[in-house]
Amino acid sequence: MKRLALALMCLPGLAFADGVSVENPIIPLAPPGVAAHAAFMSITNTGDTPRQLIGVSAPAYAMAHIHESTEKDGVAMMSAVDLVEIGPGTTVTFEHGGLHFMLMKPKAPVSEGDMIELSLEFANGEVEQVTAMVMKRHKAHDHSGHGHDKHHDHKHGS
Amino acid sequence: MRHLLAALIVAFAVPATAQVQGVMLDEPVEMPAFVYTNDLGETFTERDLTDAWTIVMFGFLSCPDVCPFTLGNLEAAVSETSLRVRPDNVPKVVFISVDPDRDAETVSEYAKFFHPDFRSFTGARDQIDALVEATDSFYRIMTPDSSGYYEVQHSSSVSVIAPDGTLRAKLQPPFDPGQTAEFLARMQISYRKELSQ
Repeated sequence: MKRLALALMCLPGLAFADGVSVENPIIPLAPPGVAAHAAFMSITNTGDTPRQLIGVSAPAYAMAHIHESTEKDGVAMMSAVDLVEIGPGTTVTFEHGGLHFMLMKPKAPVSEGDMIELSLEFANGEVEQVTAMVMKRHKAHDHSGHGHDKHHDHKHGS
Repeated sequence: MRHLLAALIVAFAVPATAQVQGVMLDEPVEMPAFVYTNDLGETFTERDLTDAWTIVMFGFLSCPDVCPFTLGNLEAAVSETSLRVRPDNVPKVVFISVDPDRDAETVSEYAKFFHPDFRSFTGARDQIDALVEATDSFYRIMTPDSSGYYEVQHSSSVSVIAPDGTLRAKLQPPFDPGQTAEFLARMQISYRKELSQ
């Protein structure tokens, strides 16, 4: 088990803070000239106490926010989210059609394969560093419907 | 008669259990005159709707989640459709930005990113509104925040326009590629039947 844990820690894109683990952090490659990108990932609270995700920062972008896409009566809309509650032992998945980290105005062009640093801010003052890989959307999308773990069921915390 | 009724019930029960990917309109809807442009100087007008199937989507470029996902799925759906219909019946996909203030300078790049044949345009507000209204679509530009950034709400469905230039159906999320392709192929069959009557 210890060896597995060590191996996991060496994988890029995985980050562990006290009681929080992040899996599959990705940023789908956006069309050229588009200033709004999204980061998706799964965040699991592996600890015993509820955690509250309250913000995100991304040095490579002018702005970063927690956002949620919703659809009501056939209209797609987005709204900022102030707090995402993650209960002990639960996973909140940031994925298409729900929560995402909205990244605005990249300071330099973002290309496929780039690694983007994100800091997830929690209410207890802890910051989780996450490295998200920029990848073509169809590659990320190809996983859907094939039991890939970033698409498992979850409850949105907002 | 009873047999026929039973057969009908079965026929309708099967699609009802599958996810709804589209809705066919009871009556075709005429499209108004319009003109859109892009930064390459290309134009898209109501005359471009004839002689081909067209899928029209409204959105905006600062849309990190829904618009790229929809275009990505439409790419897959059109690719699936090309396996089921004649090459000249493969729908063209046109993206119209309802946010010309932010998007006019780069709009042509947008849809192409998802497929080299996809095209994207924007236009004057009255031109956007004309087609939005005619296709029973919707958008709303929200109030800017303190930094000047604003959100745009828009219809999640897209419009299917037949080669006679009339609106025939709306496609709805999640735009499952196989089911959407099946819907489009079936719609083309009923369109041809209607024409031959």
